[in-house]
Amino acid sequence: MIAREERVPRSLRRFAVPLGIILLAIAILVPLTSTDAAQQAGLPLLADKLWFRIATTVAMFVVMASAWNIIGGLTGYASFGNVAFFGLGAYTVGVLVSNRGWPFPLALIVAPLTATLFALIVGIPLLRLRGHYFAVATLGVGVAVGEVVNNLEPLGASTGLFLPIVRSDLLFFYLMLGAAALAVLSTWFILRTRFGYGLLAIRENEEAATVIGVNTTLYKVAAFCIAAALTGLAGGIFAQWNSFINQENVFAISDNVQMILMAVVGGAGTVLGPVAGAIALELIIQTLAGGGSAAVYAQIGLGVLLAVCVIFIPRGVIDFFGGQSRLSLRYLRQTLRETSA
Amino acid sequence: MSLLAVREVSKRFGGVNALAGVTFTVEPGQVFGIIGPNGAGKTTLLNCISGLTRPDAGDIRWEEASITGMKPYRIARLGIGRTFQIVRPFPSMTVRENTAMGALFGRTNGRLQPAAALAEADEVLDLVGLGEKRHHTVLRLTVPDRKRLEVARALAMRPRLLLLDEVMAGLNHVEVEQALEMVRRVREGGVTIVLIEHVMSVIVGVCTHALVLNFGRTLVEGPPAEVLNDPRVIEAYLGERYARRQQPPPHPAPKSEANEEG
Amino acid sequence: MSQFIQQVILGLLLGGVYVAVALGFSLVWGILNIVNLAHGALVIVGAYITWALFTRWHIDPFLSLPVDALALFVIGYGLQRGVINRIIRAPLLFTFLLTFGINLIIVSLLLLIFTADFRSVTPSYSGNGLHLGNVTIPYIRLGGLAVALLLAGALWAILNRSRIGAAILAVGADRDAAQLVGVDLRHMYALTFGIGAAFAGVAGGIISTFQSITPTAGNPYTLQAFAVVILGGLGRVSATVAGGLAFGLIEILAQSAPGLESGYANAIAFVVLVIVLVVRPRGLLGRLA
Repeated sequence: MIAREERVPRSLRRFAVPLGIILLAIAILVPLTSTDAAQQAGLPLLADKLWFRIATTVAMFVVMASAWNIIGGLTGYASFGNVAFFGLGAYTVGVLVSNRGWPFPLALIVAPLTATLFALIVGIPLLRLRGHYFAVATLGVGVAVGEVVNNLEPLGASTGLFLPIVRSDLLFFYLMLGAAALAVLSTWFILRTRFGYGLLAIRENEEAATVIGVNTTLYKVAAFCIAAALTGLAGGIFAQWNSFINQENVFAISDNVQMILMAVVGGAGTVLGPVAGAIALELIIQTLAGGGSAAVYAQIGLGVLLAVCVIFIPRGVIDFFGGQSRLSLRYLRQTLRETSA
Repeated sequence: MSLLAVREVSKRFGGVNALAGVTFTVEPGQVFGIIGPNGAGKTTLLNCISGLTRPDAGDIRWEEASITGMKPYRIARLGIGRTFQIVRPFPSMTVRENTAMGALFGRTNGRLQPAAALAEADEVLDLVGLGEKRHHTVLRLTVPDRKRLEVARALAMRPRLLLLDEVMAGLNHVEVEQALEMVRRVREGGVTIVLIEHVMSVIVGVCTHALVLNFGRTLVEGPPAEVLNDPRVIEAYLGERYARRQQPPPHPAPKSEANEEG
Repeated sequence: MSQFIQQVILGLLLGGVYVAVALGFSLVWGILNIVNLAHGALVIVGAYITWALFTRWHIDPFLSLPVDALALFVIGYGLQRGVINRIIRAPLLFTFLLTFGINLIIVSLLLLIFTADFRSVTPSYSGNGLHLGNVTIPYIRLGGLAVALLLAGALWAILNRSRIGAAILAVGADRDAAQLVGVDLRHMYALTFGIGAAFAGVAGGIISTFQSITPTAGNPYTLQAFAVVILGGLGRVSATVAGGLAFGLIEILAQSAPGLESGYANAIAFVVLVIVLVVRPRGLLGRLA
């Protein structure tokens, strides 16, 4: 039920390159416009700090969704604990910069390393589990790590950690954008290699994969580590960007569900799916959250969105770009019939 | 030097002896048939050889080197390929891609890149008769074709030994003939074959050597015709009374009723 | 020594709660192959119903349990029939996401209706307990354990001694075969989930007597229910009972270890989970595959 494309689907290909260049140009050049200049030019939107915040958050979720996609979408091991990597990356930067006085760039390099090391340690035993068991075991990891961190004094315990404030919307936007590009390019690259095919084989039929010569343990752990590194990187950037981290904002299970939802709604197993999903969903969530009495309604909205997406578009939105399916009543009814009791 | 040597292999599952002291060797170039009633332990034996299951006792040797308990992927890379009784294709890949997977991962020498593997796949597909359908998705394939695909994927590994698990199950007479033809072609390509089967006529049709398993034990071993006329085999398959009634005439006919299996 | 006995007793009493919480969860998982991430939310709904009845009409919490059961059965049946049935044949991931979404919705609705304020149910006898020498057993907890064991017995009886139960077990064993003998799958799924929810509701009622409740209080229970099922095993009521009691004991004894205060409840659950999964996947009393 998971969409998969080896190449960018034909209908997208025609527009892909010019569109990609335009988007990239906008993303890179426009923010360089100083906010003052934007005001004078009568472009209040770009002068708005909120825009930067949203854009950076979107980029952050692109990283997380793409990273999750590598272990969940390509390899078929749906991890509900990837947020632990985010938190570990964040706390690595937090501790190194705040407690040890390291310069941020140096700390940022260590962040993905911590996350990867952790992935290696828990991955080897955990990746022996399948389906339900793997999902909830990883959920347990996410919750447990957050809890442990919340109790450790040197890490700020429940108060959290404060980092020296660095005021530069531009810097963090570019950093996140860079991380996002890295994540997407990694996925694209993986799918072209033997390694990528191996992951797909593991997803489709692990026993068959092993008897044709795929070293499944190695590949699974590698995928898990790659996902961890990318997610940890995002966490590290977030820590300095937000200047404050605690269990709630970097070990949030709802973030984990969000990244999964984005990957799935966009199209798990594809390169662009998580990107589309992250952009679409984060914008929706931000809109919902902006509605005042906010949080609760946003949550209900998210829950309903989740339910609707899972029930009606399990293959993800990218399915509509492959030229094979169109969003129509018939498509919805067909999908429903395939999965209903 | 024999290719594969199985010595005193035993395996228990809970209270059941799936395999009890099975011993035999496979020589290069043979088409070695393993037959037995359901539950005789045939698939367990294959699983032990290919590494999916670890025997409780005994030793399995590939060209004199022990492979008992080795990880399946390493056994695959030594040159042993296998198919599954209930086929296990990769559903989201095309026929060509499925086959290429074997070439991509199962080679004993050097690693292919995806492009080269796909080219390999084309050759193999022609051999098994799926050339026309190379771009089909797995969903569109009929059962016999899926079995061909399973074999193709294993062949793309360029194995020296191919383990076929009940490839004939569910095929009609015409399809069985085609499958036998394919097995002969594979053998001509220099691959040694171990064929697990349930259907007697297949064994006679293509095997050079046969072994009968019953309740995890070797019953009889030898040339197919001999094995199939052995009273112990007849008894195992069709019961004691039938065996007594079938006292072999002085010159047993090559195709007695005992050779026709349901 | 009596300190240790007190711990063991507390552990068993806590275990009783876990048994109550895990029974419904285990049923739904074992029969429908659904790991219900909204289970904790259903438990808390039951707790709120008991609280409402207690606060508004002064109904004793233990007497309100049947109401919890009925209400949650209806909710559960509706949920399964209307929503979850739609993706029951989809890959596991989707059931997870869907039940997580349902969890979000339920918790949010509870927040809207009851706000985040902590509520408690304090019947007149809540402070009293049975005194045996140096050991005190609170009546509330004892009642909870008793109800839990009753629930286990009831579930066992339903599954093994009734026609409905036979149908449920059939659906769990082989849904296609069950259909062939005339079982209405959609209805049976909903019925099973409803029963599971009913049990969750009763567990919630029990919990309200000794814990302050707030909409998000149910979340830890889902993970703990999972740990109980893993620890005890799937497939038998006795397995869940064993798992629940064992888990309660482990938690109490672990917390008395130096350095681990109550903030580590989830971490403990997780560690137990992983150890069991790696060392003995089928749990204490579970059936093999």
